[in-house]
Amino acid sequence: MKSAVTTVVTSADAAGRFPSASDLEAVKGSFDRAAARMEAAEKLASGIDKVTADAVDAVYQKGSYDQANKDKCARDIHHYLRLINYCLVTGGTGPLDEWGIAGMREVIRAQLLPTAAYIEAFAHIRDRVCIPRDMSPQAAAEFKALLDYLINALS
Amino acid sequence: MLDAFSRAVVSADAKGAPIGSSDLVALRKYVADANKRIDATLAITQNVSCIAADAIAGMVCENTGMTQPGGNCYPTRRMAACLRDGEIILRYISYALLAGDPSVLDDRCLNGLKETYTALGVPIAGAVRAIGIMKAATIAIMTETNSGRKMFDGINSGSGAECQEIAAEAASYFDRVINAIS
Repeated sequence: MKSAVTTVVTSADAAGRFPSASDLEAVKGSFDRAAARMEAAEKLASGIDKVTADAVDAVYQKGSYDQANKDKCARDIHHYLRLINYCLVTGGTGPLDEWGIAGMREVIRAQLLPTAAYIEAFAHIRDRVCIPRDMSPQAAAEFKALLDYLINALS
Repeated sequence: MLDAFSRAVVSADAKGAPIGSSDLVALRKYVADANKRIDATLAITQNVSCIAADAIAGMVCENTGMTQPGGNCYPTRRMAACLRDGEIILRYISYALLAGDPSVLDDRCLNGLKETYTALGVPIAGAVRAIGIMKAATIAIMTETNSGRKMFDGINSGSGAECQEIAAEAASYFDRVINAIS
């Protein structure tokens, strides 16, 4: 699983050397950002159901819809938000890449899923994050960067 | 390969739940102890040749037959292989210590090590003894309980005493190696 520390260890191991001063610097740098990431992860975890419902309602407010479809959409958004929560904890995009994005294009094409709805939902979540009501500026920056990363992958 | 963070993610994913406040307590401690962890890793990386060479020399001194014809460290080519293995094991322990998780040690070093040693005729008792000496030396340097020059003297004085907990974690990785090859 890719994270700041495992990336450093992988490259040190490939060269067969002990962790160097610059490796330790890199690890230290990721620890310095960890407090903001963990704050974002904690806030997201505590409000994940509310955030999901809010985003799905925003997407489905236009026109008529099938409740079963809406429920499935909510399930998927919840799933992606959980992966974003994991990414915030690891400090890398590993969980999203490995469990969310790998193979996503194929599944979407096979199931004829409308990615526009997901994109709208995640953009809604990104734009609704309120500083400092929801989280601190640093935490929000980390959270929004991951939402943008996911939106980019879905586009 | 996992670190303390991705370990938490993998276990949360098995439950299908996001990582919340209760799971973050341990991770926040890991982050809060970052400086100690880096100091402890430095204690290994700055003293590699001392730790590994002394351990192999100590093992040989206790079994002088090893460097005689017919011994497992004869000729020097085999002694050199032994020194090299000591450093490799120490290197993976330094990775595990930095990551706060033993998976890198298990996957990349210990998996199959016992079988390899058995196939090559490496005396396990000698290897276990050498790792035991490396463990004692590493812990002593880390906690500044060694005789001679203290690791953090003048740079970050007092760090040794604060590294007790991390040193215990490092000791558990040495024990993991001993268990894996015994």
